[in-house]
Amino acid sequence: MKTAVAWMLWLITCMVFILSTRNPIYIMVVLLNLLILGNHLAKKKRNNEWLKHNTFFLLTMIGLSTIINSLFAHSGRNILFTLPKGWPLIGGNITLESLVYGAINGLVISALYLLFNILNLSLQIKQLTRLIPRAFHPIAMMVTIALTFFPSIQQRAQEIKEAQIIRGNPMKKMQDWIPILIPLLVTSLENAIQLSESMTARGYHVQVNKNTNLSLVGLVFGAFSIFSAWILQLYNYPEGILFVLYILGGLIILLTLLHSGKQRTSTQYYKEQWGFSDLTGAVFMSVYLLAYISLLSYNKLPSLFYSPYPNLSFPPLQLLGLLFSVLSIFPLFLSFND
Amino acid sequence: MKRRIKRILIDLIVLALGFLGLLSPFIFPQANSAATQGATFPIMISLIIVLCLFIVLFEAQTSLIDNKIMAFLGVLIAINAGLRFLENAIPGPAGFSPVFFLIILTGYFFGSRLGFLMGAMTLFVSALITGGVGPWLPGQMITAGWVGQSAALLKATVDIFKWEGRPIELILLSGFGAFWGFLFGAIMNLWFWPFLGAGQGQGFLQSAGFSQNVQRYTAYYLATSLIWDASRAVGNVIILAALSRPVLKILSRFKLRFSFQHREQSTT
Repeated sequence: MKTAVAWMLWLITCMVFILSTRNPIYIMVVLLNLLILGNHLAKKKRNNEWLKHNTFFLLTMIGLSTIINSLFAHSGRNILFTLPKGWPLIGGNITLESLVYGAINGLVISALYLLFNILNLSLQIKQLTRLIPRAFHPIAMMVTIALTFFPSIQQRAQEIKEAQIIRGNPMKKMQDWIPILIPLLVTSLENAIQLSESMTARGYHVQVNKNTNLSLVGLVFGAFSIFSAWILQLYNYPEGILFVLYILGGLIILLTLLHSGKQRTSTQYYKEQWGFSDLTGAVFMSVYLLAYISLLSYNKLPSLFYSPYPNLSFPPLQLLGLLFSVLSIFPLFLSFND
Repeated sequence: MKRRIKRILIDLIVLALGFLGLLSPFIFPQANSAATQGATFPIMISLIIVLCLFIVLFEAQTSLIDNKIMAFLGVLIAINAGLRFLENAIPGPAGFSPVFFLIILTGYFFGSRLGFLMGAMTLFVSALITGGVGPWLPGQMITAGWVGQSAALLKATVDIFKWEGRPIELILLSGFGAFWGFLFGAIMNLWFWPFLGAGQGQGFLQSAGFSQNVQRYTAYYLATSLIWDASRAVGNVIILAALSRPVLKILSRFKLRFSFQHREQSTT
């Protein structure tokens, strides 16, 4: 899989699954799959340290989450030991349940972290930049300028720093950085002037969008509608109202962005090629996602929810749940085809 | 004038939506219930913040219609993203990041819109470069944007009292840096915290009142990120006190060169 759209579909599908389950075994299966997939992708980029770094980081994160939760939450029946009650906030029982709860939270966070880490590994920077909606073309242009200038500015900073060191700059205090920062700023901003002149000379000109006010109203209205749907959802309002609000808000935002993007013509210098694996991946993910959501909304799925409260028990295991949790490794099989 | 009112209105809406989202566990106690929320809280908050970013960026990009400003900001963002890599090289306490220095000065010198763009886009670009795109990014972007935006308020204060060029200007800037060093951490923790504490009778107590939850959050904040944020605040103070004078001088020189306007000759 190489195209951004296919990877985004993969991301959304995996995220929906991770966020809808709290069963630690399923999440662990997902984590394992993600680690295998990430290791494969990192090895392709000759980054052999990826697995080591990330395993260490994830273990720290899960450990920290477990400890913090157990210190701040004291409910549960299986008491391991008790801290003196007099200690502010952390004093009280340390229970097995709160440890388990914290660990599950850590697992969910780790899985989310890894998902995005793999997305960063698999997509190139220019593909990520292309994901900025066309309605934000001045912003996208600015980001492109920044990304283009970044390597040369880094190089220049290094050169100035070396020149300063040769001249005997000790580089100890903050003041010693003035002779580096100032030339860097001046030369780079001179470059910016040249760039803007050549942009003007080549005829680059941002058109003033005539319907800015209307689009703004649309965006505000859409955001407000989604926000209120979320708040109503917290208070268990009927699903019909929520559904209408979510769809309405989403549609308004989508249409506004599409409409104001359409007024801008653009040429594509680099076009993504859809290969066999991208098509397979995209279709597979969409089918999976639709199946999952429809099963979820008709309550046909086995219960994915798990909580250590009130009784600590072994999490239930079902075939369908396991089947959904191994999905995250799917791009690995496609990558043999690339 | 009309444009100004529009901008203030947009800012207020975005601030209200963003803070209502971030503070929702304090205001709407159900946001904390694991049964209705599960693990979706951080993602929903990120989504709402993305929508807020859409609104404010859509409005802010109308100040980018000039090629010069676009190139200027693009290059400044590249420099700032580069400074993030110098984190280890610049002497300073651990956890300190020089990234806020240019954001604050840009907002201070060029006004709230460019300050916001500078803050939000710096974090976006450096996330693209370092491979740090994730659900935490929208929160970081909007908070850094607020850093730049609020620096314009500082400028207004300095202008009113005519403190420009006096030592008190530097003191104010350093204090501002310290303030945001702490606040940035506190806001970024909000995104995350109900998720960590969610559960039965934990972190957030559903039955507990607003003040009690604030107390608990304060304790959590003190325990987890105070040291980190304190070193960021100290770093901001040091770097702003040492470097802002010469950098402001450079910026004021370039402001003249970047702000001229082409005007079409009227054909009679």
